[in-house]
Amino acid sequence: MNIQSKAGQTAVVTGLEELVASNAAQVRDEIRAALPASCLCLDIDMSTLTFLDSSGLGALISLHKTLRARNGTLRLLKPAPNVRQVLELTRLQRVFEITS
Amino acid sequence: MNPDAASVARCENRISLRVEAACELPAVRRATLMVRDWLAERGMPEADLGAWELALVEAANNAVKYTSPEGRRLPVVIEIFLGEQDVEAQLTDHTAGFDWPDKVELPDLESERGRGLFLIKSLTDSVVYLRHPGHNVLLLRRARPAAVTATEPAVAQLQRRLAEAESALTDMTSELGSSYESLVAMFRYSSELGAHTDVRDFSRRLLRDLMQIAEADCAVLRLASPDGKNLETLLVLPDEQRPLLPAIALVGKINSVEIGAAHSREDIWFDAKEPLAADDPLRAVMPAGNGVCHAFLVADQLVGTATLGRLAADRPFTAAQVNLLHTFIDFLAIQIVNARLLDERTATHVTRRELEIAANIQHSLLPGKIPNCPPFALSATCQSALQVGGDFYDVIPAADGAVLLVIADVMGKGVPAALFAAVLRSTLRSMPQLFSQPGELLAAANRTLFPDLSRVDMFATAQVVYLDPHRLEMVSASAGHCPLLVWQPGETEASAFGQSGFPLGVEAQAKYPQTATPLPPGAAVLLYTDGLSETRNAAGELLGEKNLLGLLAHTAARTSDTEAGKHFLLQRLADYRDHAPLTDDQTLILIRNLA
Repeated sequence: MNIQSKAGQTAVVTGLEELVASNAAQVRDEIRAALPASCLCLDIDMSTLTFLDSSGLGALISLHKTLRARNGTLRLLKPAPNVRQVLELTRLQRVFEITS
Repeated sequence: MNPDAASVARCENRISLRVEAACELPAVRRATLMVRDWLAERGMPEADLGAWELALVEAANNAVKYTSPEGRRLPVVIEIFLGEQDVEAQLTDHTAGFDWPDKVELPDLESERGRGLFLIKSLTDSVVYLRHPGHNVLLLRRARPAAVTATEPAVAQLQRRLAEAESALTDMTSELGSSYESLVAMFRYSSELGAHTDVRDFSRRLLRDLMQIAEADCAVLRLASPDGKNLETLLVLPDEQRPLLPAIALVGKINSVEIGAAHSREDIWFDAKEPLAADDPLRAVMPAGNGVCHAFLVADQLVGTATLGRLAADRPFTAAQVNLLHTFIDFLAIQIVNARLLDERTATHVTRRELEIAANIQHSLLPGKIPNCPPFALSATCQSALQVGGDFYDVIPAADGAVLLVIADVMGKGVPAALFAAVLRSTLRSMPQLFSQPGELLAAANRTLFPDLSRVDMFATAQVVYLDPHRLEMVSASAGHCPLLVWQPGETEASAFGQSGFPLGVEAQAKYPQTATPLPPGAAVLLYTDGLSETRNAAGELLGEKNLLGLLAHTAARTSDTEAGKHFLLQRLADYRDHAPLTDDQTLILIRNLA
């Protein structure tokens, strides 16, 4: 996983492979720690994510709350169909901004 | 347990998989991936794989997260059962357990947890959670999509065929290169290779596409007959209403470009300059114009010929169009050969199944334990050849400590013979009042069975022996069966005797003479079926009755123990045939007076 800041206000997370019970808390904490104080827009590139479970959803919601607390937004980019399906099954498309 | 030592073990049989994982998140994740791969290998579509993967991950995560300290040392067990209609999973955890809620609902949208059960419920058709002391079992079931009900052999075959299709496709792709239209057609056909399609229907569609792409006006497809003697017509296009061309002999006097191509294995062209011969059957379809005939082979065996024709004489097929002909038809050849293999496979399967059934019946006819008849000792065996026949023996207790011995050989093989053997056995057993009169017994059994036997053209030979321990004698009667071999103590040779009547099922009113033979202390008797006397050695010579007599005398002199004697006999028979597999059933009963 890789976290890059662009132009101060935007950060992009790339290279996530799985977001599951065994790594969700760790991923969440790493992203949070790497987030610049000025960041108002966090993009997570989901195109490389092959599998997402309910613990992974919890980590994403936690990050969403972190961003909202500073009036920022979390965006999920290009999830694969199976990942998008999990988000939609749990109706979280209402929470996250999902872009294809 | 050291968390790094998390391990996963799998145990697989034909339709179920059991995976044990250490109670650690990474280990249970690996276990769910194993299950996913196993299901994928069995043709489960992607959507179902995803559903099972997620449902099992959620269940397994809960099993790890909520386990007790003692439970942490025990494995999380996932078992998958692949049925025709559905898939069932069984996950065993060692948590304190919980009451599965009546209604599983999503938590608040921004809750960071509490979606696991909802996902499990949404992704499966039924959920049952069974709580036990010390462990709990979660049962999940999900229907399989209709398309994936294939059994294991069919799946294996599908995979093999797909592999063949892929390699065929690779060859063709390089050959076809830029021809987009052809590629589209090819991909469509390749998707059908695994399916059990009707060869004629498949060929018709393929040939029609070929005609269109190669701009042909007519086509004739012939297949070599199974005996390789004729070329038979499978299709004539475009006019299906026209009667098919008659078959032509591969060796004959007709001037046919199809026969020519089949023999030379080279394409044969015809046009106005080199027209079809006057007696060429193709003229009925292609009276003028031009065309090319291509013979196609698989594994160097002629499969058939395909001819494309054009009505205009001045426009021959281009090299690219002939390449298309080769490609399409070679592809078709694979499909045809595959279909034949599939048919053969099914046929073999049926035969093997039939033999299994027959063997089971035959085995069930044999007495579990041979009753005692002191002072006589008895040993018996029935060894089945690969092609199960209708041999059986029976030893039935009779009144006053006597026993009735039956040895029989039903003519014919497989299930019908085994079934008739069962009927014969029941018929004899149903007449205990006649046991002491073997001749009467056989006559009565013959009268009962004759109508059924004569209708199906079957018959059976049988030898029946009433062994009387008080008179120290046997009373025997034979229905066309091998003679009894008797060895009397003090004699150097055994002798064969016993008058015989017709086999059962040959003559409705047949009579069976019976003979009483004294069996003084030490006497030995062998009842057998012709599988013994017709044992052949490596040179093809029969053992014969005379040698069998010698063998009995030798056996009797060597040991009085019938069990040891039986094994000695069987061993000598195996030596005689040089330990080649049995070609016929070998059944025998050995009697010895031990007094």
